[in-house]
Amino acid sequence: MSFWFWRGLRKGMHTTRYPKASETAAGVTPGRPVTTQFASVQQAALAAQVCPVGAITAQDGSAHVDLDFCIHCQRCRFGNSPPMDWQSDYEWTTLPHGLRRYEPLPRAYRRSMHIIVVDAGDCGACLHEVKQLNNPFYNMHRLGMFFTATPRTADVLLVVGPVTENMRVPLLKTYEAMPNPKKVLAVGACAVSGGIFGQSFVSAGGVSSVLPVDLEIPGDPAPPLAILHGLLVVTGRKAPVGYQSSLERSA
Amino acid sequence: MVVTHSPVSTSKRMQVDEIAAAVGSRFGSTARVSRGSSGVALSIALLDPATLPAISKFLFWESACSFGGIVVEEVQNDWRLSYFFLSLGSGWMEVLLEVPSSTPTVPSISTEVHAADWFEREAEDLFGLEFEGHPRLGDFVLHDQIWPEGVAPHRKLQRKTMDTRRDRLRHRPNAEWRPLLVVRDPGAFAMPIGPVYEGGLGQSVHFLLETVGEDVVRAVPRLFYNFRAIEKIAEGQPVSRALLIAERFAATSSFAHSLSFCLAIERMSGTEVPARGKNLRVLLSELERLRHHAGAIAGVCESTALSVAASQAAIIEERLLRASCQFTGHRYLFGLNTPGGLRRDFTAEACAELLKVMDQAVGELHVVEQGLHFTSSFLDRLENVGIVDPERARDLNFVGPVGRASGQTEDLRRDCPYTGYETYQFQVPHEIEGDGYARLRVLFQEAYESAKLVHQAANRLEPGEVSVPCDPPARGVALGWAEAPIGAALHWLRLDDGGLVERYRVITASFNNWLGFRVAVENFAFQDFPIILASFGLSPTECDR
Amino acid sequence: MNAWIGGTLVLFFAVCGCGLILSAILRGRYPMRVLVGFGAICSVLMMIAAGIALIDGRTFTATLWHLDGLGSLSIQIDHLSAIFLFTAGLIYLPASAFVKNLVESRYQGKYPLCRYGVMYFALMASVVLILTAGDAPLFLISWECMSILCYLLVNYERRGDGRAAYIMLTMSEAGFLAVVVAFAIAARMAPDWSFVSLSAAAAHLSNGAIWAVFALGFFGFGVKAGLVPVNFWLPRCYTATPPVFIPVLAGVTLNLGFYGILRLNADIAVPRGIGPGLLALFVGSVTALVGILYATTENDLKTMLAHSSIENAGIIVAGIGASLVFRASGYSLAAAIALTAALYHIINHSVYKTLLFQGAGEIEVATGTRDMDSLGGLAKLLPALSVVFLVGCLSIAAIPPFNGFVSEWLTLQSLLRSASLMSPAVKILFAICGAALALTAALAVTCFVKVYAMSFLGIRRGEWKLRSSKGIKRPHFALVYLASACFLLGILPTYVIPVLNRAVEPLAGASATASLVPPFFTATSRNQQLPTSFLHDFHNLGAQAGSSVLPGRGMVVLVRGGQQNPVIFAMSTFYGFLALAAFLLITWIVAARATRKRKVARNELWAGGIPRLLPEMSYTATGFSNPVRVVFQAIFRPDIVEDTRKTVAVHFRTAILRRREEEHPVDRLFFHPIGNATGWFATLLARMHHGRLNAYVAYSLIFLLVILALFRVI
Repeated sequence: MSFWFWRGLRKGMHTTRYPKASETAAGVTPGRPVTTQFASVQQAALAAQVCPVGAITAQDGSAHVDLDFCIHCQRCRFGNSPPMDWQSDYEWTTLPHGLRRYEPLPRAYRRSMHIIVVDAGDCGACLHEVKQLNNPFYNMHRLGMFFTATPRTADVLLVVGPVTENMRVPLLKTYEAMPNPKKVLAVGACAVSGGIFGQSFVSAGGVSSVLPVDLEIPGDPAPPLAILHGLLVVTGRKAPVGYQSSLERSA
Repeated sequence: MVVTHSPVSTSKRMQVDEIAAAVGSRFGSTARVSRGSSGVALSIALLDPATLPAISKFLFWESACSFGGIVVEEVQNDWRLSYFFLSLGSGWMEVLLEVPSSTPTVPSISTEVHAADWFEREAEDLFGLEFEGHPRLGDFVLHDQIWPEGVAPHRKLQRKTMDTRRDRLRHRPNAEWRPLLVVRDPGAFAMPIGPVYEGGLGQSVHFLLETVGEDVVRAVPRLFYNFRAIEKIAEGQPVSRALLIAERFAATSSFAHSLSFCLAIERMSGTEVPARGKNLRVLLSELERLRHHAGAIAGVCESTALSVAASQAAIIEERLLRASCQFTGHRYLFGLNTPGGLRRDFTAEACAELLKVMDQAVGELHVVEQGLHFTSSFLDRLENVGIVDPERARDLNFVGPVGRASGQTEDLRRDCPYTGYETYQFQVPHEIEGDGYARLRVLFQEAYESAKLVHQAANRLEPGEVSVPCDPPARGVALGWAEAPIGAALHWLRLDDGGLVERYRVITASFNNWLGFRVAVENFAFQDFPIILASFGLSPTECDR
Repeated sequence: MNAWIGGTLVLFFAVCGCGLILSAILRGRYPMRVLVGFGAICSVLMMIAAGIALIDGRTFTATLWHLDGLGSLSIQIDHLSAIFLFTAGLIYLPASAFVKNLVESRYQGKYPLCRYGVMYFALMASVVLILTAGDAPLFLISWECMSILCYLLVNYERRGDGRAAYIMLTMSEAGFLAVVVAFAIAARMAPDWSFVSLSAAAAHLSNGAIWAVFALGFFGFGVKAGLVPVNFWLPRCYTATPPVFIPVLAGVTLNLGFYGILRLNADIAVPRGIGPGLLALFVGSVTALVGILYATTENDLKTMLAHSSIENAGIIVAGIGASLVFRASGYSLAAAIALTAALYHIINHSVYKTLLFQGAGEIEVATGTRDMDSLGGLAKLLPALSVVFLVGCLSIAAIPPFNGFVSEWLTLQSLLRSASLMSPAVKILFAICGAALALTAALAVTCFVKVYAMSFLGIRRGEWKLRSSKGIKRPHFALVYLASACFLLGILPTYVIPVLNRAVEPLAGASATASLVPPFFTATSRNQQLPTSFLHDFHNLGAQAGSSVLPGRGMVVLVRGGQQNPVIFAMSTFYGFLALAAFLLITWIVAARATRKRKVARNELWAGGIPRLLPEMSYTATGFSNPVRVVFQAIFRPDIVEDTRKTVAVHFRTAILRRREEEHPVDRLFFHPIGNATGWFATLLARMHHGRLNAYVAYSLIFLLVILALFRVI
């Protein structure tokens, strides 16, 4: 099997420099709509109207975006005559609504953190992006993060999907089977807010209605770097979006 | 392995006209044959439900049609059931059956057409229909530990909101539920896998492998953990929102699903998409197929623990994902299709850039294939493992690459062309061995064909509009179809007077193929199971909807 | 000293007789008390007598009576007898004590023990007489008594049709006849039938006669020892035996077969060529492999243990065979090591097999089933039993520091000594047998992992309920006693080997003590047994440490290669145990300190997120051993007799019925051909009976002529 070995070596390095430097390669993230100042109040209202999930709210001449609800349909970007501003970043991890303080995992977990993923009704995209963290581009092992096969050894629970009725019990069982301290990350718009599936007789409409969520990673799907950012936030190597400022505010 | 004949060739493949004549002469007194509309070439209305099994048998076995699926509708006081069959090369046929709602009993066709088994079970669970002669109704979509009997959530009288859950509290779910185990052997046991397995990186599905050790005697996949009831929640929604659901319920083939959905709407309103839009749709469909197959190949390599090859395939996949994102703005091609065409146009430079990345990816894919071809330890795990012979594949109506690896040559792009595929030159690769290696070879071949199609489509791009306005009509019904990377994707739609969705039905290749997955697992050893699973590349979430 | 031995023996027979009589006349709960009390006293007396004989250098002899013309009946306890006698006492003690436990829990004190006690004591006396017999007549008479008593005791509960016991009796009688003929041949040149004179006269026997004695004796005693191909009675019979009696059957009477082989073929008529030894080695290896294969795939606890007895008998006989080969080739030291290994294994096997059978008896009492497919989860229900049973499993699977390891290690080491043998063919045979025994050892681990895991770990799979609450608090004395014996025999081989050597020395012609257990601690810088450089090395490694504290023998067992292969293999279970214990202790202390602030949270078993793990979702014993069955398909030749798929249409299966039947390879290769041939011959003979009178007259005439002709010739 030596030729695979050589072939692997010949291929060279592909791994991103993130988090030491920001990743600038094209296509690592679909980006996101950001607060946009429009020329007129009507235009802002139009932008809010075009959003099928109500993630955009118009206030005077500007349109604000609640990324938790955005499903990346891009209708506000293409097709709408005055497009929303679009920002190509990926550090999206936030605290859930109403949570002010954030406590990362203890220092011991910085270089050894084990992750279990639960697909609770995911469409496959978020799960696929989580899986991409194992590929040579993102290679999360270099950061001391590993997927583990059993919740018994897991420190972090990544939940994708809006939590379907049939997955509710397995999800709870997984959470209960994890030792303390444990963190729950909701990955993707569905897990954060229910996404397009919302709340229905088979969907709980987000992880927070079933489990206490520690961090939310929005995006439909959240790209690998956004998930990686979330995992770095769990270890305390990065701060959640807006957390610094809230600290400053209190100080 | 020598396969003496392909079962499709055993009976003569009949065209729609011949079928119409034969049905007229054979079932003349009980069936009314008429030209169909909105994507359906032939409509056979049954006057007597009792002839359903006979006519299904005739269509599936004697006229060599493939089975599409069942659509159940509630119309006032009746149940209307449409059974879709595809005559390869000449179009879709529907067998219509109306049953009064007072006696919700329908003869089962799954003893004749095995592929209909799960469709009937699904209808029983979601609508409360009784299929006479079906031996295994009950626990299917709605898991019996959680859902009481008789909920029938897809019926019109059930609301989409939490009410059904309150009903559930009134009934008691069956906590004492046990799976049906059929292997009777001293020492037989069932090995449970999932729904959270592989650290959750596998999609949620539960397997019970019944065994006496070493070999799997019977395999039962338990699906629908991801059941989000998209057919129900789309009801009463405007088309633009239903499109979002169609796009987002199975992301690995989201473009194909949204395309199939848009085709149904366009067919209903009689909209003709401009040529540039059609060609771009082909280009994006094939880009998605290529990306999906690269991912599936990475999965197969990973299941055999050949990590370098898996990494190389994963690099190709990630490159294609990035290229898609750069090209369209979304890594999974969300938000592009719209009734009437595409939501946005692309510049020639962007196209050229995409082709460059894609050509590089295909070149690398060739290298991986060559490497795998000479890795005997890898081939040993795949060859003669998980065999589905062509007879069984036909019996269970396998579709998509899995079917094509078992001698089923059906491909909607060629056999029932849409969005201009009839003007393209391409091969439909197929193998007859039906083992893991055949499935892998089909994946590689199709990926290369897709790359060629992308080039063809890019060469045809003339300047022009990518879409025309297409307002969904008030009232209408239509069937849309597309060949998703995993296989046929059928979206059937009925709009009500206000142009809102009255009934939405999605039939996916995964739903079709999961039924037959057990055939590949049975009589093979435990340690082959993950490899067979990876070589099938099925998506539970696409099946669960 | 002779007087002491004699006195102890007389006392033994007196106590035994009292026990017998009291059992016969007392009623109610008394027979059980007599059985336990008198049985324990008897076994202690056995051990005392044997112990004195072992310490005393000389052979104890006593003539019971002497009748002119009929010869004499005499008692003789040499070291070989003493070792077997001691082992018998070692096993009889827990076997007697355990009866109480079983009778009280299983039969609620309603077990009719009066006749049982009579036979039990009679059997005990006859076993002692066999082991102490000084001449062939006493030996044979006691043997016959033992056979019949065993038959009666196996059949004591009269469950089933008694066929298993009957087969055992038949086989025993066939073996007995062979043994009688063997003794008769050996006695052709001897003045009387005492073992001493038989041994002296054997020198005058021809090679053919020695071969005949060997073949007949090996067959006759092999039946008792359970060697291939005459072992088919053993699993059936052990399965049918009442739990009260099975320790005696497995721990005492099985050993009589080895005693017979050693007495007749290693002491009296020693083979001159290497042929008999090779035969024994080969038969032993095949027996071991077949035994362990069937043990691994068997799911009935008792039957499994019976198959495992066959395996152990194979290992022992392979050791004896190797010893005979070495002795015939003139390598006395190697012969001594092999024989030491065999004797050690005999003792070890008796101890752990008794422990396991009693443990299995406890399981059967507690749960009402022996089927490993339906057991499971007993570790939580019977924690004390689970610990002692684990000791038994570890011992029999030859895991250090327990006793099985020592003797299996020695057996394999002595097979490695074949390098010093000359003939390549013999070397190849040794290599094959060594490989078979190594495979056996590996499979034994699989087998007992399965036994322990399937019975004690996991979750309960069957429908049984725990019947008795005994064993939850503390295990029975007998089990603890046997488990400690397993442990002590395991960590103190250097104290056992010199004792065994006393019996080995006269049989092998050399002493192995100095070679196997070099006097490390007492060694000064100059020691003839060990090269100076070696001592130097080991001195630096700390072999001298503690020489002033420890009582002298050292704790290291050594096997040194011969001239061609001077590699030294050393093994010390004692130090290994110390290191392991220290390691575990340190780990425990560190873990306890590191986690002292943490709270242990107990949670449900993780099963992939399903609501609950059903019993039918856990591995069964069949499933665990099925890979072995698949790999060794050529031997098992499984025959799937039923594979029905009940379906509705072709697609819906409502049931898949499968049943598998296997024919034991011994049955397939030996008995069915013999049976078929006999049947064919009988059919042929039946043609003679056609009813014509004149033909019958002719038969008589021909027969008469043949007889006359034979007499003429003789």
